[in-house]
Amino acid sequence: MNIIECRNITKRFGEKVALEDVSVDFPEGKIFGLLGPNGAGKTTLIRIINRITIQNDGEVLFDGRPITQRDVEKIGYLPEERGLYRKMEVGDQAMYLAQLKGMSASAAKVALREWFERFGIQDWWKKKVEELSKGMAQKVQFITTVVHKPSLMILDEPFTGFDPVNTELIRKEILRLKDEGATVVLSTHNMESVEELCDNIALINKARLVITGGLDEIRREHGNNNLELVYTGEIPLAPQEAVFRILSDEDNAGRHIAVLSLAAGVTPNDALAGVLSQGVHVNSFKELIPRMNDIFIKLVTEEA
Amino acid sequence: MNFRIIKTVIAREYLTRVKKKSFLITTFLVPILFAGIFVIIFLIMGSTKERSQKVAVVDQSGFVMPYLESTDRITYLDFSKNDPDSLKNQLEQFGMDVMVRISPLDTVKKTVSVQSYSKDPVGVDFSTGLSDRVENAVEDYRIQQYGIENLKQIMQDVKCDVKVTEYTIDEKGNESISESGIYMMISLFLGIIIYMFIAMFGGQVMSSVIEEKTSRVVEVLISSVKSVDLMFGKIIGVALVALTQFLMWIVLTGFLLGVAGSAFGKDMLQNFTAGSESVTQVTGMSPEQMQSLGIPSVQDAMEAEADTSAAAAGQPDELTVIINTLSNVPWVKLIIAFLIYFILGYLLYSSFFAAIGSTVENEGDAQQLLLPVTVPLMIAYFVILIAFQNPDSGLVVWCSMIPFTSPIVMLARIPYGVPDWQLILSILLLFLTFLACAWLSAKIYRAGILMFGKKTTFKDLWKWLKQ
Repeated sequence: MNIIECRNITKRFGEKVALEDVSVDFPEGKIFGLLGPNGAGKTTLIRIINRITIQNDGEVLFDGRPITQRDVEKIGYLPEERGLYRKMEVGDQAMYLAQLKGMSASAAKVALREWFERFGIQDWWKKKVEELSKGMAQKVQFITTVVHKPSLMILDEPFTGFDPVNTELIRKEILRLKDEGATVVLSTHNMESVEELCDNIALINKARLVITGGLDEIRREHGNNNLELVYTGEIPLAPQEAVFRILSDEDNAGRHIAVLSLAAGVTPNDALAGVLSQGVHVNSFKELIPRMNDIFIKLVTEEA
Repeated sequence: MNFRIIKTVIAREYLTRVKKKSFLITTFLVPILFAGIFVIIFLIMGSTKERSQKVAVVDQSGFVMPYLESTDRITYLDFSKNDPDSLKNQLEQFGMDVMVRISPLDTVKKTVSVQSYSKDPVGVDFSTGLSDRVENAVEDYRIQQYGIENLKQIMQDVKCDVKVTEYTIDEKGNESISESGIYMMISLFLGIIIYMFIAMFGGQVMSSVIEEKTSRVVEVLISSVKSVDLMFGKIIGVALVALTQFLMWIVLTGFLLGVAGSAFGKDMLQNFTAGSESVTQVTGMSPEQMQSLGIPSVQDAMEAEADTSAAAAGQPDELTVIINTLSNVPWVKLIIAFLIYFILGYLLYSSFFAAIGSTVENEGDAQQLLLPVTVPLMIAYFVILIAFQNPDSGLVVWCSMIPFTSPIVMLARIPYGVPDWQLILSILLLFLTFLACAWLSAKIYRAGILMFGKKTTFKDLWKWLKQ
């Protein structure tokens, strides 16, 4: 089941095309990574889902039917450009934003107190936002994004501006919210957090969808069928053209670390048999999956 | 439109403003200022009244003295047998404050000349009071000279007729000046109040939009609220602040004056009310001066309710004119029109202000874009300065119909009387223009609010309007 389905979304600003025929689905209860270089159109897509901007073409489905303004109350949105009213008290402000998302004043108060306690910031309630540091304000903003228990959270670069301790705190909260059944969309340039958190991703470049799917499948697909082999042997391994090529072989006093590139249609099993036939002692043997970072760079530069 | 959400927006816009220190300060300070000015005027009036002036009159004409009736402020005493030249140097010995010399009748010009001598300068009300009385005497003398029976009665009748035909015939001297003076003040005051409120609170809407944009809170907001709802919530919230402030001013000023009244004695306040009216009339202060002192506002209200009490408080000849004038002012129409024009005018202009605020990131950048909005406001302001001189001139009538100037100009016209069809047409035009402009403003607002880092030009605005 997909909580959001974008069907052939096109958005133009005057002459400029911000999104062209983009179709992408966010599976329910998963963490979805929305990737792409700056200016690719990620923010525009997010704004269209939030109904901040209206697409020229295509449609957005929420829970399988066309999205309405009511559905937007079930979305929590943390924009990349954070902002709160500087002169307003933290508590009042959080109450206001929660009420705009359809919460009653009393429910908002209970939920906010709970969150403030969880983050250990109860004594900020009466402070003005301008008295808070940037990181502190970010925490408040995170709370206001999730307090109304949205079934979909769209977080645009949620980790920027946080120190490692708070980054970990936010990371844990994201995972906890996922466990509670929420769907999370992360738009980020931080590929480590994508590898760590995301179940599915989509990559947008130059207004077009480049790839979308499960993170693991995509990484595997973009692997070059390379294997890392650690072996011990007097004589170095020799390449077997029909089975594998040797990309590198590092000799550490008889202990070798080699990267093998498999020929087309060759399984790791065939390769291992080939290696064993050379009489070397195999210490470890593993598939090399490319890092998300490399895939990102490869896909984006290939496009160019 | 989601009314629950709009209500939330309105509540925030209203409460954050009303809770601000600056709001409390202006709300409480302005009435204190108003009341303070009144009390000061009152004290000045009171002090001159306490020391009632004794006036020695040397009447060499022989017929003026009977016309110099003493009041509780001024006592005229007949010193006609004394030599004016020696008397004027001996005022203190006689216990007199002023000596007035009335010359023998000039039989050619059929008039007398009057001089007054005193140690301290005499007040304006003294000299006007005196000259009014002497004029009455001379006029009566002239009437008598015609030797026509009942001429005085006839003259009076003629005078009454002229009053009824109002001031289109401008031959009535003092009375017509005082009448149009009051109209002028009411109309100027209303025009300026509306102008002020539109500019002030429209500006507040704009800075609040800019604040949301520069602090970037706007993106979170419009992910929850439709931008049109946000814009109107803000506009309505600020309007309620304006109305609250206005109401508080009226109530607090009334309250403070009530306190001052009970402190200084009820009858004195009555006298004072009457007195301040005559001051207005007599001193010949320009309306701008009166406005800058903040006098007319409360005075209008007080005059309205003081109609009856003031009539009993003496100086009937001056007061009747004022009271007549005031009772001729269409108050109910005026108040209803004030509310309609204030609300519609404010809505029209504040939707512009909101749209412009959405396209800039600081108030400095707004100046150029604001020009098309502030120019009509300024034009309206200047037109009301013409309106009271010539309320039926083509320019004024047209400007009271054109929606961008009508809230200000029409209100200034109303005290002089406006045909109902013109009023209705003008309101209808204003309302339709508001709908159209709000729709256009919402379009600009929706596009502008998410534009960052690029200076908006009129070309951009046009592009957004076409979208």
